[in-house]
Amino acid sequence: MSVAELDELIHQPLRLKIMAALHAERDAEPVEFSRLKAVTQATDGNLGSHLATLEKAGYVEITKDFVGKKPRTRAALTPVGRKAFRRHVDYLRAVVEGVDGDVT
Amino acid sequence: MGISKSEAASALADIESTTGRGRLLKSYQVGGPILMVWGVVWAAGYTAMGVLPPERWGLAWLVLDAIGIAATIVLSRRARGAAQGGAKAGQGWKTMASVFTILAFIAATFTVFRPTSLDPAMVFPGLVAGLVYSGVGIAYAPRYMWIGASVFAATLIGWFFFQPWLAFWMAAVGGGGLFVGGLWLRKA
Repeated sequence: MSVAELDELIHQPLRLKIMAALHAERDAEPVEFSRLKAVTQATDGNLGSHLATLEKAGYVEITKDFVGKKPRTRAALTPVGRKAFRRHVDYLRAVVEGVDGDVT
Repeated sequence: MGISKSEAASALADIESTTGRGRLLKSYQVGGPILMVWGVVWAAGYTAMGVLPPERWGLAWLVLDAIGIAATIVLSRRARGAAQGGAKAGQGWKTMASVFTILAFIAATFTVFRPTSLDPAMVFPGLVAGLVYSGVGIAYAPRYMWIGASVFAATLIGWFFFQPWLAFWMAAVGGGGLFVGGLWLRKA
C-alpha cells in the first residue's frame, strides 16, 4: 500500500482540478479538451500548459485525432496518474483529520 | 514540505466541486438528446391535435408516448454504456417511474376536475411539464429551471393570447422549446 504524501505537481489548483475531473471518469473514454475546459473553468492556454506538465510527468495521456475534418484533443489519466492522485487525496484527508499533524 | 489543515480542506473542496460540475455537465449531455426526442413527440402530438378529430387524439398520443418512452430507454442505456457503469444502477427505472407518476397525476387531475372544454386539457400538460422541469432545475441542475420556466410561460402565453391556434402554438413553442432546450443541454 502506498504512503499518503503531498504531490507538489498535483497540488497546483488547476492541475488538481484537471486530475479530479479525469479521475472522476473512471474507465470511461478520455475527456475532450473542450469538456475539460468547461469542467475546470480554465482558459485554453492555461489548460493546455498544465495538461502538458501533467503529460510530461506521466500522469496524463493526451491523444489527438480527427472527427471528420475537425481536430480533437482528448486527455485521460494514466495508471501512474491515478495512483498519484489517490495518494495525494489520501494525504489531504490525513491532514484534514489531523493524522499527519499541521505543518504551518 | 507540508500544508495547513485549511489548505488541505480547501483542496478537497475544490476536488468535490470539480467532480460535481463534471457530473452535472455529463447529466446535461445525457438529458439533452432525450429532451430533444420529447420536443419532437410534443410537436407531433399537438400537431395531431390540431388536424385530427378529438376522438383520435388518444391513440395519437399513445403511439407518440410509446415512441418517446422507448427512445428514452434506448438513449439512457446508451449513455450508461458509454459511462461503463458510471451511472447509478437503477437510475433508468427511477426516471421511468417518475414519468409514469407524472402521467398518473395528469390523468387523476383530469378525472377530478373534468375540464368542460378541450383547451384546458391541452395546456395542462404544458404547465405540469414546466413545473416538473423547474423543480428539477431548482433542486439539481439549473439549466432545467430555465427550460421549465420557458415552457410554463410559453404555455400561459398560448392560453391567454393564442387560444384559437392553441394546438399549433403548443406544437411550435412547446415542442420547439423542448427541442431547443435539449440542444442547449447537449452543448453544455
